[in-house]
Amino acid sequence: MSENLELENVSYKKNRQEILKNINLKIGKGKIVALLGENGAGKTTLMRIISGLAKNYHGIVKVNGEQDVVQRKANLSMTDALKGLLESYTIEQVKNFFLSLYSDFDIEEFEKLKDFMKLNDEMKLSQLSRGMKQKLEIALTLSRKTNLYLLDEPFSGIDVMARKRIINSILLWKDPDATIIISDHFVNEISSILDEIVIIKDKTIYRHLSADDVRAEGKSIDQYYEALYEDGGTE
Amino acid sequence: MEFQDNIPIYQQIQKYLYRQIALGLIKPGEKIPSVRHLAVELTVNVNTVQRALNEMNNEGILEVRRGLGSFVTNDINLITKKRQELIKDTMSEFLESTRQLGLTPEETLKELKNYIEKRGEN
Repeated sequence: MSENLELENVSYKKNRQEILKNINLKIGKGKIVALLGENGAGKTTLMRIISGLAKNYHGIVKVNGEQDVVQRKANLSMTDALKGLLESYTIEQVKNFFLSLYSDFDIEEFEKLKDFMKLNDEMKLSQLSRGMKQKLEIALTLSRKTNLYLLDEPFSGIDVMARKRIINSILLWKDPDATIIISDHFVNEISSILDEIVIIKDKTIYRHLSADDVRAEGKSIDQYYEALYEDGGTE
Repeated sequence: MEFQDNIPIYQQIQKYLYRQIALGLIKPGEKIPSVRHLAVELTVNVNTVQRALNEMNNEGILEVRRGLGSFVTNDINLITKKRQELIKDTMSEFLESTRQLGLTPEETLKELKNYIEKRGEN
């Protein structure tokens, strides 16, 4: 059993509107994968289906071989961590909340990441800029020791230096067997760390291939991705 | 290190390590940095570094020892040969770019000599 994530014939409708269809996807252990697609293509929806937040989908979703939603949630960590937390919380309170909620939350790891991201315990959520919140979410997400990490547009609204810090922290702290899926609408800065890319287009998995295979054709990943839209998509 | 975005990263890592070996920055028989260390230093992922090391292991330039790390070969001839290959590659890339400027190899040589002689003057 070498797959950390398996989707079979997954489809999803919302208000009778088809959002995703015929999704078949297998991602192996230890991979770093970019999930690419335009805004509204369904990247977040796909992550929410995988994490069990979006219900009423059709098809099979397995995380680390487990289909059961509770088991899936235990086997993955997603960057929607700060949703629903009070703005008056300090980082220390958030940390304690996570500690009580997740048995796999590694406090030492979190402390390291927190220092690395230049955050401290006394800061209140309401005082954090968008970029700092994003960093906190990433620190919280990566501090769980689990098999699958879903980072939903982790770099939006973050300056270049901070992106580099985050990318370095991913490389430094990733367990060799853990799989990371990062969604975005371009890959530029992260392209060097990718194993594979998955492109969502026309409501389904339009392409799934190795990053170095794209480069072997003499194209950058962004060029390849943009060309898919220029070559007359369905829109 | 800045990577070119349209060439497989594992090949660029190989080239980077070849240069280090050819320049003697990593000596014959010496252990190279760990996969994780190289991944962080070069901002690439460990699988890509591993692939580059495996390719170099297949070529005999590196010896990957399970659990111990990767070591540069003690075979000096092989290293010299690899260095010659790198020089050849660089020359052929250079000649290709001067060819695109309409220069024959002979003209290129003349221009190059000229350039090297004058370079010191400024």
